[in-house]
Amino acid sequence: MLDTLIAGLLRGNVYALGAVGISLVFGVMNVVNFAQFSFFGLGAMLAWFFISTLGFPFWLALPLVLAICAALGFIINISVVRPLAKFLPLAAMLSTYAVSQILDNASQIAFTAQFRVFPQVLPNSNLHIGNMRFGTSDLVMLGTTAAVMIVMSLFLKYGKIGRAIRATSQDQEAALQMGIPVGQVQHVSFVIASALGGLAGVFIALYVGVANPASGLNIGLTAFVAATLGGLGSLVGAVIGGFVLGILEAFGIHFFGDTSRQIIVFVILIVVLIVRPGGLLGKVPLISIEPLTGTFLGKGRPLRIPKWVWPAAFVLIGIVIPLLQNDYVLTTGTQVLIYAIIAAGFTVTAGQAGVLALGQAGPIAIGAYTSAVLTLYLHFSFWLALPLAGLVAAIVASILASPIWGVKGHYISIATLGLGIAIVAIIQLVVPQGIYNIPVPEWFGTALNTPTTYYLIDFGVLVITLVIMWRIRRSHLGKVISSVGSDEVAALASGVRGRNYKALAFAISAFFAGIGGSLLAHQYTYIDPTIFTMLMSLLVVTIVIMGGVGLPYGAVVGAIILIGAMEALRFTPELRIIVYGLVLILVVRFRPGGILVKNS
Amino acid sequence: MNSFIRNVAVASIATVAIVSLAACASGASASSDSSKKSTVYFGVSAAETGPYAAYGEQFKEAFDLAVEQVNAKGGINGHPVALKYEDSQSDPKQSVAVAQKFVQDSSISLVFGDYSSAASIPASPIYTAGKLVQYGFNNSNPDFTLKGSEYQWSTSVTTNSTYEWEADYIKKQGIKSVGVTYLDTADWGIPAYAAFKAEAKKIGLKITDAEGVLDSSDDYRPSLSNAVAGNPQAFVHIGYGPDAAKIVTQLRAIGYKGKFYGGQDEQSFDGTADATGSIAGAEFLETNPAKNVASFVKAFKKKYPSETDVTGFEAGAYDALNVAVAAAKIGGTTRAGILKGFKKVKNVPSVVYGTITFDQSTRRPAAPKLTPTVLKGGKWIAIAS
Repeated sequence: MLDTLIAGLLRGNVYALGAVGISLVFGVMNVVNFAQFSFFGLGAMLAWFFISTLGFPFWLALPLVLAICAALGFIINISVVRPLAKFLPLAAMLSTYAVSQILDNASQIAFTAQFRVFPQVLPNSNLHIGNMRFGTSDLVMLGTTAAVMIVMSLFLKYGKIGRAIRATSQDQEAALQMGIPVGQVQHVSFVIASALGGLAGVFIALYVGVANPASGLNIGLTAFVAATLGGLGSLVGAVIGGFVLGILEAFGIHFFGDTSRQIIVFVILIVVLIVRPGGLLGKVPLISIEPLTGTFLGKGRPLRIPKWVWPAAFVLIGIVIPLLQNDYVLTTGTQVLIYAIIAAGFTVTAGQAGVLALGQAGPIAIGAYTSAVLTLYLHFSFWLALPLAGLVAAIVASILASPIWGVKGHYISIATLGLGIAIVAIIQLVVPQGIYNIPVPEWFGTALNTPTTYYLIDFGVLVITLVIMWRIRRSHLGKVISSVGSDEVAALASGVRGRNYKALAFAISAFFAGIGGSLLAHQYTYIDPTIFTMLMSLLVVTIVIMGGVGLPYGAVVGAIILIGAMEALRFTPELRIIVYGLVLILVVRFRPGGILVKNS
Repeated sequence: MNSFIRNVAVASIATVAIVSLAACASGASASSDSSKKSTVYFGVSAAETGPYAAYGEQFKEAFDLAVEQVNAKGGINGHPVALKYEDSQSDPKQSVAVAQKFVQDSSISLVFGDYSSAASIPASPIYTAGKLVQYGFNNSNPDFTLKGSEYQWSTSVTTNSTYEWEADYIKKQGIKSVGVTYLDTADWGIPAYAAFKAEAKKIGLKITDAEGVLDSSDDYRPSLSNAVAGNPQAFVHIGYGPDAAKIVTQLRAIGYKGKFYGGQDEQSFDGTADATGSIAGAEFLETNPAKNVASFVKAFKKKYPSETDVTGFEAGAYDALNVAVAAAKIGGTTRAGILKGFKKVKNVPSVVYGTITFDQSTRRPAAPKLTPTVLKGGKWIAIAS
């Protein structure tokens, strides 16, 4: 028991250090900062480079790493985050995702992707309590967390800028009116957070023993969960969240085994959010501003689409491309179309109901597995399995998601993110091996397994999806769902039960996610849990934001750009991801509300 | 005026969409015209960026070294060899597009990859339809070839054959009976034990008792007492390093003195005092005294001075290119020729197995020869046979 507790404390300490930076930026700017994950990996690699390659002592390398991360953070904030965060936190979030892609890739080009054995600057197994071994390194890390926390809390309590940071995070507009230079405050917070990210990265590498440029992602995600658990914006909460998560995780693994780690992490998160919707120490404002609603829609400059575009697009995508293009374009096209279907369905949740769910990989996986099992073992026809996959995905995802609809704002995003990961982890527990030889679609005995037929099937399903989405938007039901998204309090006052309509919107989205999953399964003819990753969920969200969050047809444009660009940029293999990130940033910079945003 | 601007904007977005599609198309057609007719192109579908990039880099280093050496010796019957890399991030969404791109590129006569099952197997139907050999040299999942078509080949050792080899090797040491523990996991331990058991039965190696265990447990003594109750001559653990470390320690604690077969080149196992003298089969060993291994390791470190270790990943890729070249020398450099070559190729020199000959029914190396290694002073050393 004692061993497990100590293991949990050490683990929790790493999470806590990571969570503080995430929480700081969120509190001041209301932006979820994905670039913070990259600073973990970057900090570790920089420290490795200074110590192992250049032979610097640790105590010189550490401040250098902090300075570089702080400087990078400043540049990122000035060039990307701040111009958007002022009025569109969501667009800023998307661009921090792009920045993290660029940072990871630049770091990979500089340091290569190899796992490096991190220099043992401090002994890490020279002490023990009972059978549990630990080292000076762990104690220094614990001390650092404590010191950072004490300095930070004194700074926030008594420092002039610290007080300005607190004022800004409480009410940005009021702070501005009181003469607080909000811009500078945000710079300072971002710089501190970036330096803390680098610091956490160094200590994570010390703890784990190896590092590579992408190694920040997993611990970063858990740190993010820890920050949410403690209450986004609360620094003490972040530390408590880190330790609580570390300790509960250690005990969970002790009792249920390591295979259930991710399920444990997110079950803890979801349970805490149901009991305390603002996290352990976070405050839930009476009227919370949903990240996707209110002023958001009005900010974009709408593009009115002339009527002739519709038949033209139909002819172009449905007839001209399949006739004229080669199999490579068509295969890329199938991926674009399938993601367009999933994303178009997702606009009900993200755009109309105003819930930025981050876990669409969950219902996609349910759809894929349902369809695979129905056709492979029960010998259903593909055409019957396809709608059933959607139905099962909608039902199962709705049941699993039912407890979380009372959670609000960013918290619901993280809760759904956890839900998506937990669904895939459960599938992995039940069916650890992949499913092979999933039957391809057939039409009266003819196998429809050429790129052209896959393309046409996907196109047909997309057209049906768009028509259904269009009908839903124009129906009474659609208007009610939109009212929840636009102003939940007003909707509630008018007798609309927001919770139920959010759940309904999520079910509709899950239906189309399931359909998309089924299409993927029958095209790949093989599925396993590693296909349905968090990055898949992020891609769906990115497509929707890119196209205009409330517009089903915007999802088509978003999918063409985000999936098409990955292929189109193959002419520059080394810089592919960096250019992709830059394109993303530019699009967000000039069309922050989405390319085809609609006026509210 | 306003509506004019809107129209222009809409038109420009439509153009962007079309141009990006056209860019895909032109990118594909640009790569398909091969001005040098005499060059033989192989495709590589692997992760150059993203979470699996570390492996993609290792493959690339070994491939480039092998190509250099092959071309220095006159290529494939005079045709120089070149590789076309496409980054798939080991993501099925991209690996299927890459597969289609390679299939369409008529200059490509074979494709290596992808890295993970999730990226390789979804691409398999496309390679099969394009009659292009998909050489998943790294796929240890037996189903990659088993459930694939005649176009899927691999030289990676499967978990099954690792433990079949182990049974054979133990028997060859004159051991007649073993006690066994294996990890009770559906995806790895159970099928691996089934393969070991079947082979042991075939060759007459007696299993006195077998116990399923979990790697998360700490106290294995009750299982171990059962496993050694029949006084087996040696002990086998089918699992990973950390669990093997606990098992070997407790095995000695309950007074068992026979040889221990198991463990893994891994920190916690290598550092366990009682683990010394453990024997395991290795696919590739940098310190292998064999001449071709030594010269490969030397050439590799000369070309990449910053690399301190040469691992099985690099060795596997190096072998794979040599196997592909050998197949092309026999069957010809066309797609059909390479497939024909794979069906005929025999005894290709290998830094992993010594030589490679395919078992035509599994499209994997026939009786893959692993290197027996023993743990001495925290390091695995090849046992001279």
